Amino acid sequence: MTTIDRGVRGRDRVAKAVLYAILSVGLLVVVGPFVWMALSSLKPEGEIRSVPPTWLPETWTLDNFRDLFSRLDFPLYFFNSAFVALAVTAGNLLFCSLVGYALAKLHYPGKRVLFLAVLGMLMVPGMVTFVPQFVLVSNMGLTNSYAGLILPFLVGPFGVFLMRQFLQSIPDDLIEAARVDGAGEMRIFWRVVLPLCRPALATLGILTFLASWNNFLWPLVVASTEDKYTLPVALALYSIGQNRTDFGLLLAGAVVVVLPVLIVFVLLQRHFMRGIATTGLK
Amino acid sequence: MRRSRFAAVAAVALAASVALTGCGRDSGGSQDEATSVTEGKASGEITVWAMGAEGEKLGEFAKEFSVENPDAKVNVTAVPWDAAHQKIASAIAAKQTPDVSMIGTTWQGEFAKTGALDPTPPDLIKKDDFFPGAWDTTVVDGSSYGVPWYVETRGIFYRKDLAAQAGFPDGPKTWDDLTAMAKAMKANGVREGFHLQPGKTGSWQSVMPFAWSNGAEGATADKLSFDTPEMTEALAYYQSFFKDGLSGTDLPEGALEPDFVSGKIGAFISGPWHIGLLEEKGGAGFDQKFAVAPMPMKKTGTSFIGGSNLAVFKDAKNRDAGWKFVQWLSKPDVQVKWYQAVKDLPAVQSAWDDSSLSGDQFLAVFGKQLQDAKAPPAIPTWEQIAASFDLEVEKLCKSNVDAATTAKTIQEKATAIGTGS
Amino acid sequence: MTSAPVAAAPARSVGTTPDRPAGSIRRRQRLRRALTGWAFSAPYTVLFLVFMAVPVVVSLVMSFTDLRSTDLRNPFAVNFVGLDNYTRLFSDDLFLRSSVNTLVFVVIGVPLTIVLALAAASALNSSLLRFRALFRVGFYLPVVTSIVAIAVVWRFLLDPEVGLVNNLLRVVGIDGPSWLFDTKLALPSLIVMAAWRNFGFLMVVFLAGLQAVPADLYEAATLDGANRWQQFRNVTLPMLRPTLLFGGVVTGIGYLQFFEEPFVMTQGGPLSSTLSVSYHIYNQFGFGNYGYAAAGSYVLFVAIVALSVIQFRFLGERK
Repeated sequence: MTTIDRGVRGRDRVAKAVLYAILSVGLLVVVGPFVWMALSSLKPEGEIRSVPPTWLPETWTLDNFRDLFSRLDFPLYFFNSAFVALAVTAGNLLFCSLVGYALAKLHYPGKRVLFLAVLGMLMVPGMVTFVPQFVLVSNMGLTNSYAGLILPFLVGPFGVFLMRQFLQSIPDDLIEAARVDGAGEMRIFWRVVLPLCRPALATLGILTFLASWNNFLWPLVVASTEDKYTLPVALALYSIGQNRTDFGLLLAGAVVVVLPVLIVFVLLQRHFMRGIATTGLK
Repeated sequence: MRRSRFAAVAAVALAASVALTGCGRDSGGSQDEATSVTEGKASGEITVWAMGAEGEKLGEFAKEFSVENPDAKVNVTAVPWDAAHQKIASAIAAKQTPDVSMIGTTWQGEFAKTGALDPTPPDLIKKDDFFPGAWDTTVVDGSSYGVPWYVETRGIFYRKDLAAQAGFPDGPKTWDDLTAMAKAMKANGVREGFHLQPGKTGSWQSVMPFAWSNGAEGATADKLSFDTPEMTEALAYYQSFFKDGLSGTDLPEGALEPDFVSGKIGAFISGPWHIGLLEEKGGAGFDQKFAVAPMPMKKTGTSFIGGSNLAVFKDAKNRDAGWKFVQWLSKPDVQVKWYQAVKDLPAVQSAWDDSSLSGDQFLAVFGKQLQDAKAPPAIPTWEQIAASFDLEVEKLCKSNVDAATTAKTIQEKATAIGTGS
Repeated sequence: MTSAPVAAAPARSVGTTPDRPAGSIRRRQRLRRALTGWAFSAPYTVLFLVFMAVPVVVSLVMSFTDLRSTDLRNPFAVNFVGLDNYTRLFSDDLFLRSSVNTLVFVVIGVPLTIVLALAAASALNSSLLRFRALFRVGFYLPVVTSIVAIAVVWRFLLDPEVGLVNNLLRVVGIDGPSWLFDTKLALPSLIVMAAWRNFGFLMVVFLAGLQAVPADLYEAATLDGANRWQQFRNVTLPMLRPTLLFGGVVTGIGYLQFFEEPFVMTQGGPLSSTLSVSYHIYNQFGFGNYGYAAAGSYVLFVAIVALSVIQFRFLGERK
């Protein structure tokens, strides 16, 4: 950047050291609970509950995980969670970008009302629509089905908002040029616009996947037989009792549940960072 | 743009008001008649919902029922405790209920009032088989809408060695004993002679036993009477432990068992599940160091009874078979087998004659206590009243609000909430 | 939010006949544009109307009735009570208390989270730093960690006897209080915990926003003799305004509905000092007071809208 003279270099080194120190402490503070969670899943039940809590297990054990996989029909619940989460994510990626594009770049009557409806929906507290939604879904005959688990979440206002913001930053001339060349809107959308959206799509993908994967109350209420349960429901089933909680199982479950999300996150975090960032700019 | 938006809003409002004109409560309440169940063996598929460990084990356990009723198959869906109340309520709203479900005793009133539960057929299930406190949890508006399945009750867990040191080798027998024992323990260096829950969720389960033991009724299905001298006396007694420093207000979660094991806490109130927890925490031989005493006597030594009931739904597809399954689960020998499988205490009195229950040093105490244990009335508003109760008790214990004021405030709040009838 | 400038409709050479008036061509184009727009919006609109709009309308209507859970089988057999539920809310002690708690939470929590996020982003943006990805993933971790694990660790941290916080204070000679059991300190403790949990998300937003600030602006400022702090105030912050707006709005919406922290850590206590509006509403739903709880939810909705509007006014783009 600027010319570096000896004094500045010395100052930089000190600044660097201080920066690293503060950030490392911050990192430890931040990562602490996660590390505790992972380590504790390898402890026996009694030790997990000990006060004060221990860090490294005094007794290392895989019992909690063994318990988890033998008591739960793990492959089934994992499949249900994965299937639903992937379907919801795919739906959001497709439909939210379609609408986001329309809101950002197309002109048609009622567009403003639609956008306000999207924003409004974003601000409605989730609890209040729960029972009416369930009654509606069951009147449609969708209880205890994958459709009932997926359809209400196939497209969401947050995704629409996110895509609209991002798509606004795509230069109009690019689209105009394509129009002048005679391309239909759909063509423009698929060939020109969508490829430019990779960061936003990665962002939306991760966030939607995370929310759907961790969803607990809806799958619990919609499923009436265990074969439609998702992973969080099954984990709560086996670990939380009327008067006591099986912490070992709970933590082992928490580790297992967070792993896929973490993997997806780490893999995509490059795009992700750029994605959210750019939508914030407008 | 403005105009079309107004139009949309107006249309919605219109539709809503049209829909609402069809609304309105009718004043009369209908009394449900219990209908009897057809004779013979059960047949068809029976769908059952059960929570927690019961849900896990019931499917396998119910295969016995199919042996006795070859045409019947029991399908158990295990439901997590977390949000089970919401799941059942939603199912009722959407008319998607199973045949049979396990329900918490404090939910009985609410669900019965929805009209979704089938009244218990008196010829099939006999009231006298069960602990009276447990049966009362199923009674709403004079009729029973469920059957007790398993029960739990509360007693005083105390350290034998510390109690002996304090002059009470057999534990406290009366209210005065309890106070004296706790004080002596404190004098001997124990941090909390008798730990009580200082308000917050569920504290009513510790407070009401003292109230009932003093003759206070609190709430019944028709009357709310929290503002009585007996209740005030009980509240003052509860508060005295905090005032005299015999119980702390700041116990962190998870610290009760380790502190009891290490002798920092001399005694506390809890239920049978703590036996296992303490044995786990205290290690081998710890079960020799503690004992359970029944609730100390004032006018009586009444405890709280909880547990779970079984209910059959009106919209059940296989109602008769559902009731037969419930009847089977209420047989004394099946109740004992169920205890052996899951450690749930039987709700049927004669099941307790079995040696696995009457022979256990701790369970025998709980078994006797079950004879004198009460539960709150099965009214739909109990949870809300209990929440207000807990809040006032918290103020009683932490802010030293006086007992008479607390009783009065609870009565005011409870009256505002009503009994939901 | 700026909308894209209206593009002039390109003239199409295909299909125009000399005797057709220009007006009807434009009308046809407008019709085609409208159809295209709605075709693209159709999947969302249909799903939205069915699964979101209907429940919202139903629950709004519900808030004007005395619907309780005991009415669930006969939801139409309820009384229309007009604004009764709403007026009752404002004489409900617990609702008022929870509103104050929520307000405090938002007023302190949102700026705190933003400041933390901005500081972290600035630090990570520094050209002095390596291992950026590590820090990014690390700081984001609390967002994906289970609230149960977080609660256990934080409860330990704040434990009056054995907790880390009080142990550190003891080193400097201060006798630390019982954080989560003190009616005055429980809410601030939760605010700090929430900021800790959520700043990672915002940090990432700000990080990219910072990276988009052109380097020459900084150079010019340095040549003018501005120090680091002045550069931050006069170059960085103004450029970051739209990003700050997004961050503020999103965090505000989230914090107005804060629920998990008190639910898991303090159950709304001690003495309702950490009861939030969302938690109070949740309790009311649990008691079966559906109409009343719905009214509470829509009051919360109005507050959310109001806060967002204020933030737009304050931080919105100035032309």
